[in-house]
Amino acid sequence: MVKKELLKNEQVERILSPHPLSFMKLQTLCIFVIVWGIVVWWLTEFSEYAGMFSGNTWYPLILWGLVLLLVGVIASLVAIQWTIFFLYLGVFLSAIGLIFWQHWQNDIPLFIFIYSIAVSIVGFLIVELYRRSHKYVITNLRIIFKGGIFTKRERTIRYDKIADIDAKQGVLGQIFGFGTIIPVSQSGFGLGSDKTMAAGGVAVGGTKARLFGFAGGGKEVQTPIARSYYELHGVYPYKDVKQLVEDLVQSHVPTQYQQEQVEFQKQQVDIQTQMRDLLHKQVSDKPRKKMVRQPVEEEEEPEEEEAVERVPRKKMVPPEEGFQSEQVDIQQQMKDLLKKQKTARVNPPEEEEVEEEEAEEETEENEKGKEGS
Amino acid sequence: MADFPLNIDVVVIAALAPILGVTVFWFLQLIFIEIQKRLLSRLRHHHEAFCRFTNYIGIFFQTICQALGYTVTRSGISSFQVTVNYGKVEPKKEKEGVFEWIVRSFLLFGPFFIPAGLVLLVSYGVIGRGFSFPSLVHYTFVESLTGFWASLSTYGTEFVRFLINIDLLNPLHVGFVFVLLFFGLGIRPSYIGQERKEKIDILHDLIHIKDHLLEKPLYLLVIVLLLYLFYILSLFLNPAVYIGLFVIFGWMSLTAIIAILLTYPLLLLIWATDAIQPQWKIVPFITIPVSYIGSRVFFIYYPTNELERVSLLVMFLSTILVTIALIKYKRTNRFKTATKMKHVRVADGKKGTSKK
Repeated sequence: MVKKELLKNEQVERILSPHPLSFMKLQTLCIFVIVWGIVVWWLTEFSEYAGMFSGNTWYPLILWGLVLLLVGVIASLVAIQWTIFFLYLGVFLSAIGLIFWQHWQNDIPLFIFIYSIAVSIVGFLIVELYRRSHKYVITNLRIIFKGGIFTKRERTIRYDKIADIDAKQGVLGQIFGFGTIIPVSQSGFGLGSDKTMAAGGVAVGGTKARLFGFAGGGKEVQTPIARSYYELHGVYPYKDVKQLVEDLVQSHVPTQYQQEQVEFQKQQVDIQTQMRDLLHKQVSDKPRKKMVRQPVEEEEEPEEEEAVERVPRKKMVPPEEGFQSEQVDIQQQMKDLLKKQKTARVNPPEEEEVEEEEAEEETEENEKGKEGS
Repeated sequence: MADFPLNIDVVVIAALAPILGVTVFWFLQLIFIEIQKRLLSRLRHHHEAFCRFTNYIGIFFQTICQALGYTVTRSGISSFQVTVNYGKVEPKKEKEGVFEWIVRSFLLFGPFFIPAGLVLLVSYGVIGRGFSFPSLVHYTFVESLTGFWASLSTYGTEFVRFLINIDLLNPLHVGFVFVLLFFGLGIRPSYIGQERKEKIDILHDLIHIKDHLLEKPLYLLVIVLLLYLFYILSLFLNPAVYIGLFVIFGWMSLTAIIAILLTYPLLLLIWATDAIQPQWKIVPFITIPVSYIGSRVFFIYYPTNELERVSLLVMFLSTILVTIALIKYKRTNRFKTATKMKHVRVADGKKGTSKK
């Protein structure tokens, strides 16, 4: 990974890519093409059933194509991915095109054999290229997913945004020690739905009367699912990587106590802001007379409130006029805020409590003093 | 109705003949399984994935057998789980007594016979001629044993003849070899762990089976009585039926033995290639198809009647020679240890060496 891509204080923990056997589903498609091509060649040329195919030169191609497409349909239904069918359809149509273009009508079985091997090799190469385009970078702050041959895709997820981790290990994964880990984000990225549908029809009757029945049903299941470039697809060693990711997620998820502390700090900041506003108001509303600086000791702020802008330490109090009604209101509001501040504490340390009480008492004394003056 | 003399040989001892035959073949199967286990244990260190694969097949069949036991006893299956390390089947209803005993019987005996039975079914399509049931003249112990042996001998001979004349350019034959190898690696009920464990020993299996049988002697007695009843009935109808039942079990054992034997060359080859430098390891495996196809192509121009047999021989010899040559000239560095020495510690905290 380019160092420039890393954030401040970010360190790479692990760089991973999918295991060579992790795309076995795609590789199986190629294996089937090669095996079926060999079987058709053997069946039509060398087996005891070869005579059945001698009637027409197109029989081997028809057999090959029909089975290929049938398997394509079945595989598409099972995998819920119609790309497989269209892929096989493309292979079949290309074969027909090549036969017509090169006039290989008389050597169809041999053509099927060679063509199947060639197509499978190309298929394997594309799958391998696709696999190698994937790169997963696990850093101490986030996971970066990269993939795609032509269109480069990238996904980044921070550990504190991971809501759930889905991990799966197939039979091959268990044998060879790789597996897939899908981090599901809080927004639901990484969740998908599997939809299956079954339908059937029946036609009864002759040329005049026909009945046609159709029955169908569907089921949709919400499941963790993602493209291989948006998940840790087929990573090795699975257990270690899973442990690492879980540890990192755990270290970035605030605990209950931390969450309470953050909430408490937010409340404190709100209270301080309101108090500051009140003090500003108190100062700005004072009458334009001779003023005497009178020190007013404010309550000590808790440590966590240091970040908040500090309020003026001294107030301008008119010496002889006393407080107007507005000033009394402000004082009253400040008193309320202080009470609120006290009650909002979550398990406050004893020292802070004492200081706060002292500050409150001082404020009350000030009020009395001001009222008296 | 058959006519038979009423003496102890016919009425009692002859009934034991096929049981004895099956027991002998089953013991043979156990011994070959044990050898395979030892080979796999030796490979485990360098071929973790391969051993996990064989474990998976074995555990899969073991779990299937247990599930079959629950199905037969109508306990139902609430969960079925198979992983590389363990298999787990849970019944819907926990039944006790005889049902529990039957389930355990399936679990203990099933892995020895059910995968072999599946191979037997497949092999029927390939070597149909070998499946002949005995036809008896006299209902004696020796006659029964001879009939049992004759059936197995015919089957075995046909099987071996097929293997010797196998055409590896025939997809069906190749498929059958793969099935044999696949099942051959899985016809064992035990798990090959990282360390040598007691539970992978033959004795451990046998002790388990003995305990199971002696745990409920009454059930065993009932089975023996049922078998004997079946034998008596078959005496009146056709004693070959009784022997035929055990012949099927014998065929299963024989199939399992052949399948296990076929895996030996593969395991030995894998073991031998460990002594070869990594970049050359693949060569012996490539030699297998290359030498066979090369030989077949050669015999297209120089035809011979023993085409398949000679090609097979050429393939075996080439692979052996290439492997030996590579071991001699491209030997790997034996001083490399898989376990890092710095990780080896003795109990007192000092550095030590690995004890083997």
